[in-house]
Amino acid sequence: MDIAKLRRLSTSTIILGSHPGIVQSILDYDYMTGREKPTIAGIVTRGGRRTERYFWGETEVVVPVYASLSAVSEAKRKEINAVLHVQSGRRVLEGMKEAFDMLPKLKVAVVFAEQTPESHSLELGKIAKKKGILMAGPASVGIVIPGVLKLGAIGGTQHPQLVSARVFEPGDTAVISTSGGMVNELIHTVTGSGLRISFGLALGGDRFPLTSPAEAFLLAEKDTSTSRIVYFGELGGQDEYEIAELIKEKKITKPVFVYIAGTVADLFEIPPQFGHAKAMASVKSETASAKKQAMRDVGATVFDSFSELAPALKELASDRVELIPSRLIGDRRKFQLISHLSGDSLTGDVQLLGRDLRETVEAHSYASLVLAMLLGEKDINAPRLVEFTDYVLRLLVDHGPYVSGALNTIVSARAGKDLVSSLASGLLTIGPRFGGAINGAAGAWLTGVSSGSDAKTFIRSQAGVIQGIGHKKYRLDLPDPRVSALESFNIKNGRYLTFARDVEAITTGKKANLILNVDGAIAAILLDLLESELGYGPEKLRELVDIEFFNALFILSRSVGFTAHYLDQRRHDEGLFRMTPEDIRYLG
Amino acid sequence: MPRRKISEFRAKQMVANALHAEYTGWSIVSDVSLKDTLEALDAKVLYVVKVDQAVKGRFKKGLVLLGIKKSGLKKAIESLREKGYDSFIVEPQVEHDQSAERYLAMTLNRDGTMIAWSEKGGIDIESNQESITSKHLDDKTNWTALAKATKLTVDQLQALHVMLQENHISFLEINPYVSSEDGIKILDCAIEVDDAGAYFTHAWSERDIRSPKSGKQYEEEILVRRLNAKSPASFNLSVLNPDGAVFLLLSGGGASVVVADEVYNQGHGKQLANYGEYSGNPNQQETEQYTSALLSLLLASKSKKKVLFIGGAVANFTDIANTFTGVIAAIDAVADSLRDQNVKVFVRRGGPRQEIGLAKIESALEAYGILGSVHTPETPLTEVVRLALEEIK
Repeated sequence: MDIAKLRRLSTSTIILGSHPGIVQSILDYDYMTGREKPTIAGIVTRGGRRTERYFWGETEVVVPVYASLSAVSEAKRKEINAVLHVQSGRRVLEGMKEAFDMLPKLKVAVVFAEQTPESHSLELGKIAKKKGILMAGPASVGIVIPGVLKLGAIGGTQHPQLVSARVFEPGDTAVISTSGGMVNELIHTVTGSGLRISFGLALGGDRFPLTSPAEAFLLAEKDTSTSRIVYFGELGGQDEYEIAELIKEKKITKPVFVYIAGTVADLFEIPPQFGHAKAMASVKSETASAKKQAMRDVGATVFDSFSELAPALKELASDRVELIPSRLIGDRRKFQLISHLSGDSLTGDVQLLGRDLRETVEAHSYASLVLAMLLGEKDINAPRLVEFTDYVLRLLVDHGPYVSGALNTIVSARAGKDLVSSLASGLLTIGPRFGGAINGAAGAWLTGVSSGSDAKTFIRSQAGVIQGIGHKKYRLDLPDPRVSALESFNIKNGRYLTFARDVEAITTGKKANLILNVDGAIAAILLDLLESELGYGPEKLRELVDIEFFNALFILSRSVGFTAHYLDQRRHDEGLFRMTPEDIRYLG
Repeated sequence: MPRRKISEFRAKQMVANALHAEYTGWSIVSDVSLKDTLEALDAKVLYVVKVDQAVKGRFKKGLVLLGIKKSGLKKAIESLREKGYDSFIVEPQVEHDQSAERYLAMTLNRDGTMIAWSEKGGIDIESNQESITSKHLDDKTNWTALAKATKLTVDQLQALHVMLQENHISFLEINPYVSSEDGIKILDCAIEVDDAGAYFTHAWSERDIRSPKSGKQYEEEILVRRLNAKSPASFNLSVLNPDGAVFLLLSGGGASVVVADEVYNQGHGKQLANYGEYSGNPNQQETEQYTSALLSLLLASKSKKKVLFIGGAVANFTDIANTFTGVIAAIDAVADSLRDQNVKVFVRRGGPRQEIGLAKIESALEAYGILGSVHTPETPLTEVVRLALEEIK
């Protein structure tokens, strides 16, 4: 891997772990470089959220969140070429190995965590080298290539900081540092002196950085845009001797400017542990003084005080016209309290689904409007699905006063409660045992079909009841007429209904009333139609199950039934409902 | 965070275990373990008692007591405790032929494990450097030849290597050991572990780690260590000279060393009171606690002139406004004492929300009458250190 290749990369990044400040700063950088869309393709973190909201300039943008790397679609994984790992040190080896396995196009990765075990770094370093992946870290604030890439906190996490670091305009000075804070300080010193950076690389202060200082120097040497190297090193380790050797062998020919921190350690018999993991000199050759001498001996410019760096760089700078980023970000950033797709009144007129309310309403039937709104789609071109939805909305409208929800509505109405309270008491009854089975059935069919296993294996894997299967009255020899009616909407070879029927064939073998019921049939046919007419894949369908889309149709439809029961009770005005002792079994 | 030594006792146990060698020893870290050890000792045997705290040159410092009887153990421990130590190892005193002492070390480096050995082991190994042979362990390693050279068996050498790899051990030194027909005797042994690996091994734990410092710890250092253990951010503080004149409240592992270097380079190393830093975006309360610990050291210093330097490089993600709010709260609590002692405070810092943070601290310091000066990253870090040092000249 070399820097020139990274400059040509069309960056697509996955963030492993959650670090909103860093993610926002990368989006800000992308925006200010004039990119059309963010380089961040997604965030992998547990916590159950599907998206996180960020700013793109001054407007909002939604970044997808995945529970694991395997939840990212294969097609998308094939586009990812950069990884930023911001989880804890314990998770570095596991997380990065998974990334290596699952991201075939990976080219560059940054590991932010401190406390990564040394042996884990060594193992990762070996794999990365074999695969030609450039890695920075552990404990790295990242890599920045002006105008192209900012992977990590490097340069700052607030947009005004990025502007003052002047990291948008490419230059010819490479900045390499073992320290995250000092890489930023160096960038400021370089750009404040009138030079610009060709790239900035924070290697991290661990004993075994994934990219060693010597390797970083070779990257800079190879990079034709770089004409000098500014380096910050520390006491501890032997890295600078490797660099000195490269200079001696003329493998590094570009001018080198060096500061090595830690001469203060000379003061102590047993020096304290300085800030970074490797910053402890156990033998003389590891002291800052010895390493500075070694670099001086091969002709590098070595500074004793950090103050000497800026004047030395100023001499190299020519007058330049200050360029500002392509786009700046103002301070009018405010997260909207709610994000929504269904309505919008920014212009003053009420809008629905992207068009004027009346226009939308007149263009839709009730069923297609319901479907579009529930799916969050502006346009629905799915005639069969709309027709089916219409039928379902009618079919589920009422099932008599016997069922739990209707009964609760009736009891409330007779207790003198108002319409909304009575309706609510009925609706609140809807759950896993009453009316809520469509969603459960959809989840079951989806799991069965996605797993690729046959119905028998699927049934064995299900503990207890399978939602969508079984009826009190109807049986194999007395089929549910509503299911037959629903089936007339099914497409040919719909795989979800086929699977549901396969399951039924086995369960009815055990007991004749374990047939596919109305809930199971609606779920299967909806899945088939959403797939065939709207092109929804398993991932999208799973999302619909997770957000309870499939129950929404029942709730909507049955609200009419409950309301009717309420009005009916009010019309007859039968007075307070009360059970008799014969209805109650006393256990005392 | 770095490589750290574990107790000799635990190291010997681990090595003996790997080599299938016998080991007899006791670790004393408390009165309870002292009582347990006393119960186990044999009245007829002579023992050696050593400070087990990663201290170099124990013999010369009188931290190894020879010929201790069971009846004298309590007194021996007390005498070492008085010197400020609190971790000890007790072993039967064994006679052996000093000329048979051998040296063996294994070190984890970038290319894997490096093994080093010598026939001339013992305390003078450093002056016998030329007798040490070292080799990389890899697929081509001739284990039989190594076994012959070290007088260990192939199984024993490989067991040591596996022990290193599986337990996040960065460095192992057995010096000396004696190999004879009676088996292997490990006379002294040191292990450095990679403490980031603690989660992945059961062979050692945080409790086995020994700090090379003597038992004398400043209350403020202990407080900061506790703070560090609790927080996802990182804190450290070492007192270098309790009566120093230059106090540093620094942020960032790299910049903090640059600042300390500058104090030293300018010829004020001896007046440097402390080294320490915080990083990783700590919250307000944490920075307040850290600052309070430092200020308590500052106020206790007997130096006539005192200066406090607050700052660091340009932070990547540490929020300057937040962290400085904590710093100001801590200063506020002792502002009168600081003014009475004529302390001047210099600040230089950059990073997220620096304008707010710097403005706040400048007006606070001015109000307290302890303002030196406050600088943005436009002024080089080390320039501000020099300004601060002017105060104590």
